[in-house]
Amino acid sequence: MFGLNKIIPVEPNINFLGLRRNFLILSILAILISIGLLSIKGLNLGIDFKGGTLIEVSTKNTSIGELREILSSSYSDVSLQEFGNENIILIRLQNKSNQESIETVNSVKNLIQDKVIEFRRSEFVGPTISSELLFRGFQAVSFALIAILIYIWLRFEWQFGFGAVVALTHDVLFTLGLLSILNVEFSLATIAAILTIAGYSINDTVVIFDRVRENLRKYKKLELVDLFNLSVNNTLSRTIMTSLTTLLALVSLFIFGGEVIRPFALTMIIGVIIGTYSSVFIAVPTLLIFKFRPQDEDD
Amino acid sequence: MKNYPIWKSFTVLSLVLLGIIFAIPSIIYDENSENWFLKNKINLGLDLQGGSYLLLEVQLDVLYKEELDNFVDSVRLISRDQAVKIEKIDIQENDVAVFFTDKEKIKDIRDSFFQMYRGVSLQINNNKLSIKLNDEYRKIIQDSAIKQSLEIVRKRIDESGTKEPLIQRSGKKRILLQLPGVKDPERIKDLLGKTAKLTFHIVDKDNTSALQNNLAPFGKIIVPDMYDENTKYLLDKRAVVGGENLVDAKGSFDQTEGHAVSFRFDTEGAQKFGKVTTNNIGKNLAVVLDGVVITAPRISSAITGGSGIITGNFNAQEASDLAVLLRAGALPAPLEIVEERSVGAGLGADSIAAGQIAAIIGMVLVCIFMILIYGTFGALANISLIVNLFIIISLLGTIGATLTLPGIAGIVLTIGMAVDANVLIFERIKEESLKQTKVFQIVKNGFDRAMSTILDANITTLIAAVLLFAFGSGPIRGFSITLSLGVIASMFTALMLTNFLVYMYLSFANKKELKL
Repeated sequence: MFGLNKIIPVEPNINFLGLRRNFLILSILAILISIGLLSIKGLNLGIDFKGGTLIEVSTKNTSIGELREILSSSYSDVSLQEFGNENIILIRLQNKSNQESIETVNSVKNLIQDKVIEFRRSEFVGPTISSELLFRGFQAVSFALIAILIYIWLRFEWQFGFGAVVALTHDVLFTLGLLSILNVEFSLATIAAILTIAGYSINDTVVIFDRVRENLRKYKKLELVDLFNLSVNNTLSRTIMTSLTTLLALVSLFIFGGEVIRPFALTMIIGVIIGTYSSVFIAVPTLLIFKFRPQDEDD
Repeated sequence: MKNYPIWKSFTVLSLVLLGIIFAIPSIIYDENSENWFLKNKINLGLDLQGGSYLLLEVQLDVLYKEELDNFVDSVRLISRDQAVKIEKIDIQENDVAVFFTDKEKIKDIRDSFFQMYRGVSLQINNNKLSIKLNDEYRKIIQDSAIKQSLEIVRKRIDESGTKEPLIQRSGKKRILLQLPGVKDPERIKDLLGKTAKLTFHIVDKDNTSALQNNLAPFGKIIVPDMYDENTKYLLDKRAVVGGENLVDAKGSFDQTEGHAVSFRFDTEGAQKFGKVTTNNIGKNLAVVLDGVVITAPRISSAITGGSGIITGNFNAQEASDLAVLLRAGALPAPLEIVEERSVGAGLGADSIAAGQIAAIIGMVLVCIFMILIYGTFGALANISLIVNLFIIISLLGTIGATLTLPGIAGIVLTIGMAVDANVLIFERIKEESLKQTKVFQIVKNGFDRAMSTILDANITTLIAAVLLFAFGSGPIRGFSITLSLGVIASMFTALMLTNFLVYMYLSFANKKELKL
């Protein structure tokens, strides 16, 4: 109607696979850097995984400096941060034993009582819980990868499953690396974001694989590289559309959804971009390792 | 209206209608409605309506240690009866080893002991009797402790005036609490942090050397004062009477002593209390709460009425809280708070408002985008998208799911991802339209070809969401629920509603050719 869809031609013919070596090098570099960052700098673990205490307050005409002064005389390990706007302040305290932490929350509240309009939130995660949460997070992500692998394996041939999991692992590591560089807080919500990214990225990959499978049946004589290229091109406009609508929703969440959800939205935005990239440039080229043809002709 | 069966239109339209109707209760959101229909609204999670989430851990180690102490006491009593001397007692983490001076009667002692504690493992080795707290026995202790703790916690929370609390066992030794609308979580934590084990003991004032050496003889204990750690009392280990015999306790005010807690015993307690106070006039009676002496007044006369007051340096709140604790009863073991997440009503309301804005703006952007790209077809997809949102809301409401902040994020994300199925279909239609000219055939092929892709793509997202539900906790589960419902609803709206709308549009507009 508005003809905007003509921007992407109905039958684009872009040689994606021709660029595969460049992007492969790029991705390997990104993964190596990510692994390096994760082992050296690590992630900015939030209290879900590090344990500790967090109190969010809204203040009346009290600067963050004043609050810091009041609290730092009693607690050496306190850190304060403005959260969204200057009247909302996050107070963080490091992990102590369960009992101590509960008492700390109480005494912190008493110390700043008259400077505060509302205690908006207080969270405490004890040392045993934080390590359990971390463990369960890892469990969830690994089981998701395995379950997806199994599903793809059942629905497609196992080679596709391999390609999908390579792409997924790439997405997860790459995203974690970026979270490390950007110092985004890593929380339970981030695990949720990563799992969703895994789901999204595989969704993207599956759509292309579906087309690869269809084309393998349709064009028996076509070179594999050309066939993969054709499949990526066939699904290109869908890949772009869906990524764009998802990104539109996520950007809206990032800007308007409030401070608490922002790290989640940011992680998702990063993941959707990486997931889309990897479907085209990692998942599909990985299939080139395998020779589909001989088996196909046996059918 | 070619090829479109009536039953199919009917099904699609009624499902859409149901989706819209059942979204109404959540959209109106009348908090206190008793109306059967309006009650089917979304439950707001603690992070949206404000409240406290607490995870408590029962300190079972304390109980195990107590049980080992009981073992030792019992062995001592038995061997005293049998006139056997004990050489040495060795208490380890899991077992007690008792060495006797002669091994003649060791089997008898073992048998008597076994009569008292069935289920423990006993082993004789020469003059040594080992008593082991085995796993089965631990499990019995654990289960009964958790059961009791749950009951006591429930009573305390009820007494504190929290409405609609959720209290349940979580894992082996934890108790999970969700307390909507709690404004002062610190007070609740105080209430839960105390074991509230109340006992009355006769004070031994004669044996002064025991206190000086800080070494209690058998049958006695040394207990510090509540207000001054350096003041210590030597008490009979055996309690005269305990909190389990209380039938009532309430905060009261005494002219001379200030705020106090007045209490009343049941018949058994009153009898015991009467007897002990009659026999011990002139001695002091210590009131011990959680291992410290609150007060130890002198017994000036026999108290046979079965009631009394406990005084201490209480203020009004402390006195009434102590009364609450005494009424609810003592916890079998201390509870430790291992996780707390409390959200004030203000932040919850802000989160809802922000979530709504994000959802609406996200929706508008996606709709505009779809119309720009696909024109009329985009508009049809938008109708599906809006219905999709209604269906998610009505499903959340009718299954009684809890909407959390991450849940809202899930809805916003779904808005972006839900059009995917439509996009897949439209792209297929676009391709088909290059191959042939029959409008309805193009559409039919488009839908058919997209179908398996849509299923595959969405099932993988569902797998991730289900795992998230299995491993996630609280708010994160809220996310996996909205995401799953969103995915399911989007498959329905794309494959059925969009399909219906496209057929209707093509029939009524009487399109002879299709350009996308």
